[in-house]
Amino acid sequence: MPILDIRGLKAYYITRKYGHASRVRAVDGVSFQVKKDEIYGIAGESGCGKSTLLKAVSGLIKPPLQVLEGEVVYDFEDQKLSILSLREDRQRRRIRGVRISLIPQGSMSVLNPVRRIRESFRDIIDAHLGTVDEARFNDIVRTHLDALGLDWSVMHAFPHQLSGGMRQRITIALATILKPDIVFADEPTTALDVVVQRGVIQLIKKIKREQMNTVIMVTHDLAVHANLCDRLAIMYAGKMVEEADVDALFSNPRHPYTIVLLKSLPRLGDRSVRTSAPGAPPSLVNVPSGCRFHPRCPEAMERCRSEDPELVEVEKGHRVACLLEEGSR
Amino acid sequence: MLKKYLLPRLVQYVTVMLIGITMVFIIPRLLPSDPVEHQLSRMTAQGQYLDPAAVEDLRASLEELYGLKGGILQQYITYWKRLLTGNLGPSFAQFPTPVTQLIRTSLPWTIGLLLTSLLLSWLIGTTLGVVAVTYPNSVFAKVAAVLAMGIRPIPYYIMALVLLILFAFVFPIFPMAGGYSMGARMGFNARFIFSLLRHAFLPVTSMVVLEVGGWFLQMRNVASNVVEEEYVSYAEAMGLSRLKIMLHYITRNAIAPQITGLALNLGFVFGGALITEIAFSYPGMGYLLYSAILAGDYNLIMGINIFSIVGVSTAMLVIDLIYPLLDPRVRYQ
Repeated sequence: MPILDIRGLKAYYITRKYGHASRVRAVDGVSFQVKKDEIYGIAGESGCGKSTLLKAVSGLIKPPLQVLEGEVVYDFEDQKLSILSLREDRQRRRIRGVRISLIPQGSMSVLNPVRRIRESFRDIIDAHLGTVDEARFNDIVRTHLDALGLDWSVMHAFPHQLSGGMRQRITIALATILKPDIVFADEPTTALDVVVQRGVIQLIKKIKREQMNTVIMVTHDLAVHANLCDRLAIMYAGKMVEEADVDALFSNPRHPYTIVLLKSLPRLGDRSVRTSAPGAPPSLVNVPSGCRFHPRCPEAMERCRSEDPELVEVEKGHRVACLLEEGSR
Repeated sequence: MLKKYLLPRLVQYVTVMLIGITMVFIIPRLLPSDPVEHQLSRMTAQGQYLDPAAVEDLRASLEELYGLKGGILQQYITYWKRLLTGNLGPSFAQFPTPVTQLIRTSLPWTIGLLLTSLLLSWLIGTTLGVVAVTYPNSVFAKVAAVLAMGIRPIPYYIMALVLLILFAFVFPIFPMAGGYSMGARMGFNARFIFSLLRHAFLPVTSMVVLEVGGWFLQMRNVASNVVEEEYVSYAEAMGLSRLKIMLHYITRNAIAPQITGLALNLGFVFGGALITEIAFSYPGMGYLLYSAILAGDYNLIMGINIFSIVGVSTAMLVIDLIYPLLDPRVRYQ
């Protein structure tokens, strides 16, 4: 049974300038399901709508972002809720950090610079458990930090006194302190060096093992996906073009974009020059007609200009959105 | 750390005051007028006949009194000696009342008036600024922005006169002039305090109304940048309450420039508010300074300037000392 069910989600950035509305179609009709306890990866080039998808799915919708269509339904064991129909303020706030949580980009400014780490933990715990007494607070945090292998002394530090990797680990600890059912990770390894990246990935794995949460992992780094995820979806220009188990996707990619993407990855022992898709992803203001990948697609046909392929299941658990697949159905 | 942070700032504090006070000493001495001659000619102009020997005696005692005896270095030393014993010399225009006494009678009025209006306008403006940023789409935020920008350019004297005409003449709720009712006995009793508040209401209001807009706009501008920061959106993503985010995430990170502004303005309090004092016939330092300038009473000018210098540089020192508490990152820079 899926813990998260997304249907036909459309989220656009709509801005008005001099009476002329411009629409950035960042997420344009995306449907997928995430099963309980899996790690679901979402990959794609920069600017393909990955982060916007996360925002819309977790209900963090602030102007100019608007959700035009679609449904996002969470099915926790004891509670089923459609987040987009909840009232922004109270109701959505109550599930954030507790049922769904977010690990933001590995950037420097996620932690409040004038608050000690301890106070950041306090803020989150107090917001959801009410004001807990000191002993209980220490107990909750200490257990969590021990489980993650973090030292208690960081609690008294200010964010600027910590290294980038340590800050990212603290952010992960903050995001999972209340054992959320679903953790969204938005490029958690970007801006970190590879050694720290490895530590962060292991940390996420560890938390997942202990807390049994569902993880949705967004990054452009396919190596991270290969390491971590059970299933992987590839996004291109606001749409999902392929979705499969990680092994199936890496061994048997079906969409031309996925094939091109994988060709660009370095492989051990292979000394040939890597190739990549010519051109750049399209602007999401003026998206190409038909299949959005057709201007860059090595296998483009005449039909691709006008027909927009749907994401269809070609094998069990393997969905592809490409007109080439029609014959194989 | 204390040594590294505190010591240079204390040295700077003392240096600024030394230089400032020395300037106050030098500038009047560059003026072409000689106060001793001025006083002598004023006396002779009154028709008094003085024989030359008496004039010389008088000149000597005036020079002594004014601290103008001897060479420039000796004068400078005398100047500091008197300053450190709290003696700012006599006022020339209201001879022989000491300058300190004139300042002592004016200063409480000014401090009461300016401190009240400064703190009130700062508090209101800062609070409204943060609220407007936290609820950017509310009617309040839009109305407040329009009001702030609309009221701020009004010249102060017009605001003062409008308030006076409306609330002291057309609807005589508040008194026209003065710091307290004529004939009221000064003292700590309900009647006097009530009279004090009634007289202070219009001048304070006139200043608060105009200053709130400035504080509001500054706070709103800084806070609207802070709102875009990732730690604010992360706090939202983790389900923190609006109030918590507003106080500990937005306000706390946007308050530093407001504190600097407040402290600087606290330093300027000693200069008084001339136009307010004139419009509302309110006693205070502004008018004292103004009349001192008109009368060429430069002992008094010097005295008031020294107060201002000490005030502003103390304010700067205080800002420097509280900054590390506001922003922990400052400590190590």
